[in-house]
Amino acid sequence: MSKHEFHPLVKQLLDGDITLADLPPELRAEGDEALRLLAAVDRSPVQLSAVSEHVMQAIAQRPARSVWRRVMQPRELRLRIRPWLLAPALAIAAALIVFLRTAPTAAPASLVTVRFVLVAPEAHEVSLAGTFNQWDAHATPLIRSGPTGVWTATLTLPAGQHQYAFVVDGVRWVPDPGAPAVDDGFGRRNSVLTL
Amino acid sequence: MRRETQVTDGDIVRAVLAGDRERYAQLVERYRDRYARYAARMLGSVDAAEDAVQDAFVRAFDQLAQCKDPNKFVGWFFLILRNRCFAERRRSRAEASLEAADSVAAADRTDGGAETAERRRALQLALLALTPDQREVFVLKHVEGLSYGEIAERLSTSIPSLKMRMHRAYDKLREELREHT
Repeated sequence: MSKHEFHPLVKQLLDGDITLADLPPELRAEGDEALRLLAAVDRSPVQLSAVSEHVMQAIAQRPARSVWRRVMQPRELRLRIRPWLLAPALAIAAALIVFLRTAPTAAPASLVTVRFVLVAPEAHEVSLAGTFNQWDAHATPLIRSGPTGVWTATLTLPAGQHQYAFVVDGVRWVPDPGAPAVDDGFGRRNSVLTL
Repeated sequence: MRRETQVTDGDIVRAVLAGDRERYAQLVERYRDRYARYAARMLGSVDAAEDAVQDAFVRAFDQLAQCKDPNKFVGWFFLILRNRCFAERRRSRAEASLEAADSVAAADRTDGGAETAERRRALQLALLALTPDQREVFVLKHVEGLSYGEIAERLSTSIPSLKMRMHRAYDKLREELREHT
């Protein structure tokens, strides 16, 4: 036991399982020290009165919520990936997909405008390959906007199910972290988008 | 006698999901300060706690449809706030500072005098030296007053695992307090 470790009985005291009087005399001083530690715990309340106003201001800017709108209106999916968990080019990834439904009165084979977003600050180029472009890794480049490494592409796709992946720097195929994925049968994961 | 007119969290969540977003303010008012203290002790700063609680409420609103049991909104919200606090600590781990602990101690230096404030400040600094897992179990038990059983239920973990974390926290706090006081 190191010099800093409390005796197991003193830990029971700290846990509230026993009292100071239950300790043998040789542990009383250590018990006193432990109780002084607990006495310094700050249990005073913290009041954040400004939070309510700020929260309500923030959500006031959100689009209206209804079952119909949840199906038809823009939808956000967010996932943040810790940079140190991935290879450098993909180190920081967050995905945001916004589904922008076209007019409800669209043609029978309805089209849906979809914006794909990948945050990859260290990437030099990002493109989109999927069932909608015959998996051509060069057909649909994403455009980098600003210094934050946000790459976007807006496509109009027919309603239905599509599979896709991001292609980073022409070599790395990355599923969208914000969308469900399926095995492509060759050891890779494809993202699935249902419109 | 208590009047049975308390609106449940589930009632409010369902109303908000049905489009009455103003009702969300009731949930914010209900839990804002209750979780402010948890966030302040986890992050070592009232300002950081304010940001975290605010973000967590906005995120909870955005994801409200994913709250599977509206009557258990608060447990679900707590996990969002917890993730936010853990992420914040990872981000600013290198910035854990005397200033942060000062801000917590100073905010509450109203009734205990300088000595109490100094002891609180020393302990808050020591808490920042714990791992987030250790700090969390200490805060939930000794600041929020939850039992091991309640913490285990909230965090979906076992009591022995929590006790192991806590006992390591005790030793680390003792080491920190001895070295820095």
